[in-house]
Order: sequence, then structure tokens, then C-alpha cells
Amino acid sequence: MEEQDKKVRLYGLSTCPTCKKVKQFLDKHNIRYEHIEVDLLDSGEQWVTSKELKRYNPEVTYPTMVIEEVIKGFDEEAMKMALGIK
Amino acid sequence: MTPERFYEVLVKYAESQGIQLNKDKEHVMGILEGLLKNESRYSYRSCPCRLATGIKEKDADIICPCIYKDPDIKEYGSCYCGLYVSKEWNEEKIRHIRVPERSQYNSYKGAA
Repeated sequence: MEEQDKKVRLYGLSTCPTCKKVKQFLDKHNIRYEHIEVDLLDSGEQWVTSKELKRYNPEVTYPTMVIEEVIKGFDEEAMKMALGIK
Repeated sequence: MTPERFYEVLVKYAESQGIQLNKDKEHVMGILEGLLKNESRYSYRSCPCRLATGIKEKDADIICPCIYKDPDIKEYGSCYCGLYVSKEWNEEKIRHIRVPERSQYNSYKGAA
């Protein structure tokens, strides 16, 4: 499989149909992602994960997808594209 | 209770409230399955689109129908999870947007 430059993480709940829709979308497009079903974690892990999610989404709502772009070296074009610099 | 029977009950409940269930039945059935799963693990039907604490008193606001349902339907035409909607929302006379979270429940999880 071709290397995927963007790292994708999906925070969801096992009971949430909208989370399932996002998951199906990613699967349909063959995107690799880390899938965290927060309700299935133990309470300590839920606490840590909620803190982590809050950094990206202060509402702490589900589903939340985080897409991280990896840019290696000084790649001006890639940095501009990723940061929306024209 | 089966999701199908639950659906029949909620159709009547929604009618009695002057609202409707989302016309996307697949979405609705997913919510109902989530509600029943939450009932089996917490003993109450907390919103399947929100992370419950498992402590009923703390989750009281997000037990379905949540206390935010009416203001959300009034403002956005849909409740937070998209189970209950207005007639206008189902008829697509209202733009379908993601309903913002009104609950501060996540503070219970130490996320605040």
C-alpha cells in the first residue's frame, strides 16, 4: 500500500451512528486510521483520552477526527499547502 | 425491548410532542440500538452520541430524551444526536447542520 502522509485518528463511541458513518467513509476510501472507541475504554483511559481530545475539540464531542500531516524536511510547498498559506 | 418495538413507541411519543423521528430510519435504528446498549450497561438510556459517566445523577441531563432536545429542535430543527426533529427539518426546509453540544457533561470526566 502507498505510504499515507496524513495520520488520522478517529475518536468515537461504539453506540453512536454518526461515528459509524465516519468510520464507513474512511474504510470506503481505504484510509488507515487509529480508531478509539472511548466508551469501551476503562475509566482511567477515558479520562486521559477525554483530556487529549479536548486539546483538539474543546466541546469533546463524538465523532471527532484528527488529521495530522507529516512534513519531512524543509518542504515549502507542502508546508504552504498544509497551513493554507497562499 | 427490541429496536423495532422501541421505534414504534417513539414514533407515537414524537407525535404526542408535535415533533417527528428523523426520516433516516437507518440512523434512527442505530441510535435506538445505542440507547438499548446503554440501558443494558448503565440501567438507563443515556444518549448514545455522548460519553456517559455511568452515574445516573451526573448523566441526568443526557438521558434520552435529553433536556437539550427542545431548545435544540427550536434552534436547529434537530436534537443533538438527530433522533428527534421538527417536521420542517424532515422536509428539508431547514438546513441540516451539526448541532452544537449544550451539555457540559464532559467536565465530569475531568476533561474540563
